[in-house]
Amino acid sequence: MTNAPIVSATDLVRRYGEGEAAVTALAGVTVAFAQGEYAAIMGPSGSGKSTLMHCLAGLDRPTSGSVVVDGVELAHLDDRRLTALRRDKIGFIFQAFNLLPVLTAEENILLPLSIAGRRPDREWFEQLVATVGLGDRLDHRPSELSGGQQQRVAVARALVSRPAVVFADEPTGNLDSKASADVLELLRTSVDELGQTVIMVTHDQDAADVADRIVTLTDGRIVEDRRTQAAVA
Amino acid sequence: MLTLSLRSFGVRKLRVALTLIAVALGVALISGTYILTDTINRSFDTIFTTAAKGVDVSITPRDAIDDATQDGIAVTTIPASFLAEVERQPGVAKAVGTIDTANVALFTADGDRIGGSGGAPTQLSSDTPPPFSAITYEEGRAPTGMGEMAVLEQTAESEGLKIGDRLKVVGAGPQTELELVGIARFGGVSSIGGFTLIVTSLEQAQALADQPDAYSSILVAADPDVTPGELRDRLRQLPSPTPVNVRTGQQQADQNTADIREALGFLTTALLVFAGIALFVGAFIIFNTFSITVAQRMREFALLRTLGASRRQVMGQVIFEGLIIGLVGSILGLLLGLALAPGLRGLFNAIGADLPSEGTVVEPRTIIVSLVVGTLVTLASGLAPAIRATRVPPVAALREGAVLPRGRGARFITPSGAILALGGVAALAAGLFGGAGIELVGLGAGLVFIGTALLSPKLVPPLAGAIGRMFPGVVGRLARENSVRQPGRTAVTASALVVGVTLVAFVSIFAQGLKATIAEAVDTAARPGTLIVQNTAMGVPLPAAVAGGLERVDGVTSVASVRFSVSRVEGVGRTAVTSVSPTLPDVFDTRWAQGDNELLRDLGRDHAVVTDRWADDHGVEVGDELALTTPTNERLRLRVTGITDDDSGLFAPVTVSNELAQEAFGERQDAIVFAGTSPDEEAAVKARVDRLLEQQFPLAEALTVQEFKDQQAGQVNQILALFYVLLSLSVIVSLFGIVNTLVLSIYERTRELGMLRAIGTSRRQVRRMIRYEAVITALIGATMGIVLGLVFGVAVTVALEDEGLVLSIPVGQLVVLLVLGGLAGVLAAIAPARRASRLDVLQSLAYE
Ligand SMILES: Nc1ncnc2c1ncn2[C@@H]1O[C@H](COP(=O)(O)OP(=O)(O)O)[C@@H](O)[C@H]1O
Ligand SMILES: [Mg+2]
Repeated sequence: MTNAPIVSATDLVRRYGEGEAAVTALAGVTVAFAQGEYAAIMGPSGSGKSTLMHCLAGLDRPTSGSVVVDGVELAHLDDRRLTALRRDKIGFIFQAFNLLPVLTAEENILLPLSIAGRRPDREWFEQLVATVGLGDRLDHRPSELSGGQQQRVAVARALVSRPAVVFADEPTGNLDSKASADVLELLRTSVDELGQTVIMVTHDQDAADVADRIVTLTDGRIVEDRRTQAAVA
Repeated sequence: MLTLSLRSFGVRKLRVALTLIAVALGVALISGTYILTDTINRSFDTIFTTAAKGVDVSITPRDAIDDATQDGIAVTTIPASFLAEVERQPGVAKAVGTIDTANVALFTADGDRIGGSGGAPTQLSSDTPPPFSAITYEEGRAPTGMGEMAVLEQTAESEGLKIGDRLKVVGAGPQTELELVGIARFGGVSSIGGFTLIVTSLEQAQALADQPDAYSSILVAADPDVTPGELRDRLRQLPSPTPVNVRTGQQQADQNTADIREALGFLTTALLVFAGIALFVGAFIIFNTFSITVAQRMREFALLRTLGASRRQVMGQVIFEGLIIGLVGSILGLLLGLALAPGLRGLFNAIGADLPSEGTVVEPRTIIVSLVVGTLVTLASGLAPAIRATRVPPVAALREGAVLPRGRGARFITPSGAILALGGVAALAAGLFGGAGIELVGLGAGLVFIGTALLSPKLVPPLAGAIGRMFPGVVGRLARENSVRQPGRTAVTASALVVGVTLVAFVSIFAQGLKATIAEAVDTAARPGTLIVQNTAMGVPLPAAVAGGLERVDGVTSVASVRFSVSRVEGVGRTAVTSVSPTLPDVFDTRWAQGDNELLRDLGRDHAVVTDRWADDHGVEVGDELALTTPTNERLRLRVTGITDDDSGLFAPVTVSNELAQEAFGERQDAIVFAGTSPDEEAAVKARVDRLLEQQFPLAEALTVQEFKDQQAGQVNQILALFYVLLSLSVIVSLFGIVNTLVLSIYERTRELGMLRAIGTSRRQVRRMIRYEAVITALIGATMGIVLGLVFGVAVTVALEDEGLVLSIPVGQLVVLLVLGGLAGVLAAIAPARRASRLDVLQSLAYE
């Protein structure tokens, strides 16, 4: 597990607003994530977890500092290139599932490839569907699926383009404990068996414990960065 | 509640703005129409009143049929001898005869026509010496004696004419060269719309008009001790050789204004109909916007309800918002109408109906009607959504993703749509084929339209599926799915467009049929090689000398002429009359219900033929006697010898011989002259005819059958273009509807769009998706509109088959219409698509 970093941030600062009312969400964060790592970012509400994730994922631009994803410095990219980078190198899992209600589960899973105009690799798709366990639900619309099933579709969608890294923001926040366990398990599997890199924001200790590493933020600074039992095991 | 309403307007700025635009555009057309026509009426009123200054009594010819004048120009004239009688009456200080004729054209010395042949007319008027002051001089002096003339300031300015210029004038008499000695005003204004006015002395005008012993009117000034009313009454006692109207100057001015007002009444009505259509389209958009916003604000309403607001209060709030939007939109529309009025006027100028409009007249009626209609339409459109808003259960505030309960009437929508559509078809059929009248046709068309609109939510998914297939890839798929997500919403949006497209399609089918009908009628009626000679000024007759001249042209085998007059037929009333030469069958092949062409050769003084339709309507049969009174008050008894079945429009209900028309109707001038040639010599003969006309009758033009058909088609096209422009306003209103719906659904889908952008959808792709959605909606509307237009067009054509209307479907134009519909979608999508693609990804994702 000593691979080269796939995502790294150096002296990341993100400030919102100007002057008196300015809020510093990130106050100088330097961190790196290796390929095949399953990392959890923890911290109290308002500590800057989401902001960090957004900056790492090219959804937000830091006030200063640099982010490198898969060897690409994000600061130099315009919106068009940044969008293409997100499309090709990054997978997203959101707390609110964010599936398109008008598409079937299968279409939702394939959406990133469809947008890129790429043909799906059928074998990979089958394997993915088998892993997330949605075989008989593929032609259902999201409204016909349970929350857990929807989030599993979202996981498959994040993995389908074999991104360099998958970001998950509170992926279990809207799920009951059984469904949460399933999704966390799924992410674990994707790291262990599919070699995926996963960076997950959560404030649930149980969820974090599934990860290899826990980075803890407070007031926009990393206050702790440690390996877990899972990583040792 | 008030503050709450205003507050929520602030939040929903864009939606409110778009709704306002929909209301304002419809209202603008209403107020613009009123402002324009009021301004024109007022201008005429001012002009006529000013022109009547100094005129105490005005004597005008009256035909024996009734008081009708045509286009403000007297039908007949007053014998010159009557002026002497009038002058001799006590109390008459001064009396002058005048000449006013439209049978005139003005040319530069080089022979270039001034004041165009089509479009606005040219008129010759004799000078009105003091104390009369209809015509006054800004520069130079009044033309006196022979060889002098004046023109209106506006004409001088636009044509660059100066005092001392030499110009050529052609009237019924010989062409004459005149010197420009004055620059004039009429009724105090420098131009009467696009009218070209030529002013000469009375003698010169009589010579130009070839009317040596007749006047168009007599103007009288009273002695100081006699009032205009007294003098009028005195002059009414005077026996006149031909029927006359004797009015005071003010009465005459009022009469002139009233005539104009009546002539323009049609214009007002037509424009108001188009305004109504645009407002009707606006109503769809207002309804849709209110429905969508009510759905989007469900949680807000539910929250109000949990806080203890009653249903009535919630409904009150929505209605109150409708009231404000209606009122503000109407006020905006009223203001927009001020700007629109000159535009509408320009539209009429473009087709040659140039009318004076000085200043801007806003009557209280304009303001009241605009505000009331705009507000009521908005309120009515917002009522159903307001009622739905009250059905929001308070718990909805607490549940995410709750949907608005369907209205109680929802399940009746499809069945009642079907019933309305079928009922409409039945009414349409009864009106068109059962002879139940035009009202039923209108009602039927309206019902079919509303029925289709109600059915359209069911039509949207299959149509969207079919149309959406054009758009490839996941973006196309998403666009297709999004457009059927809320079929009702898409349906209402598309229906707004359907109104305009249906009418455009119908009008173009009807016009195409009309052109085909004219072409066919002309082709079957006019014998090959026939030349058609007419006045270049529309509706103005030709001097009889033209026919005489044509007879002497080498290669012309036969000449026939047609004249138009009127009569009062006993038991029927005012009836149009055509008169023809005995030679008409040589050049023109008439279709007959009873009889044959030879009948026209011996109509003589005792015979008449009638049209089949008129014969049917009034139970006239061959062998019957018609008792009729002519414009010169002769009473005739004519025997009906034949019944025509003619589609060319040449035959008025009653047709007599030219000989009789001249003697008993006072009709000396030809409306149309036909010159027969042998087809293989046509071109050569036409060249000779052209030369003759150019030299002796510059007012006349000769057309081959093909040229005549083209000219007629051109006239239809001109009206068609006017219809298109007016209808395009309602299409523009419906575009705002598409914009509105898109903006609202983008707002609803903010989070989805954020996700799409996050996972790598480019801005371009987002724009394309929105554009496809708009195009799908627009094409649904265009398709339904074209189909409905076809249904109406075919139905009306089939119903008018008896009148000879031919069905001819302008496939090319309909395809263009469809393509334009799609382009309209692209246009409507520009702003919403940009908005969607510019959404901030993070904010969208956090959006709730
Ligand atoms: N768009 C924004 N504008 C202003 N302040 C923001 C914005 N986003 C986040 N913040 C602030 O930045 C800080 C960190 O927020 P966030 O990263 O969302 O924390 P977490 O995800 O750990 O709860 C908070 O104080 C928050 O209020
Ligand atoms: Mg957060």
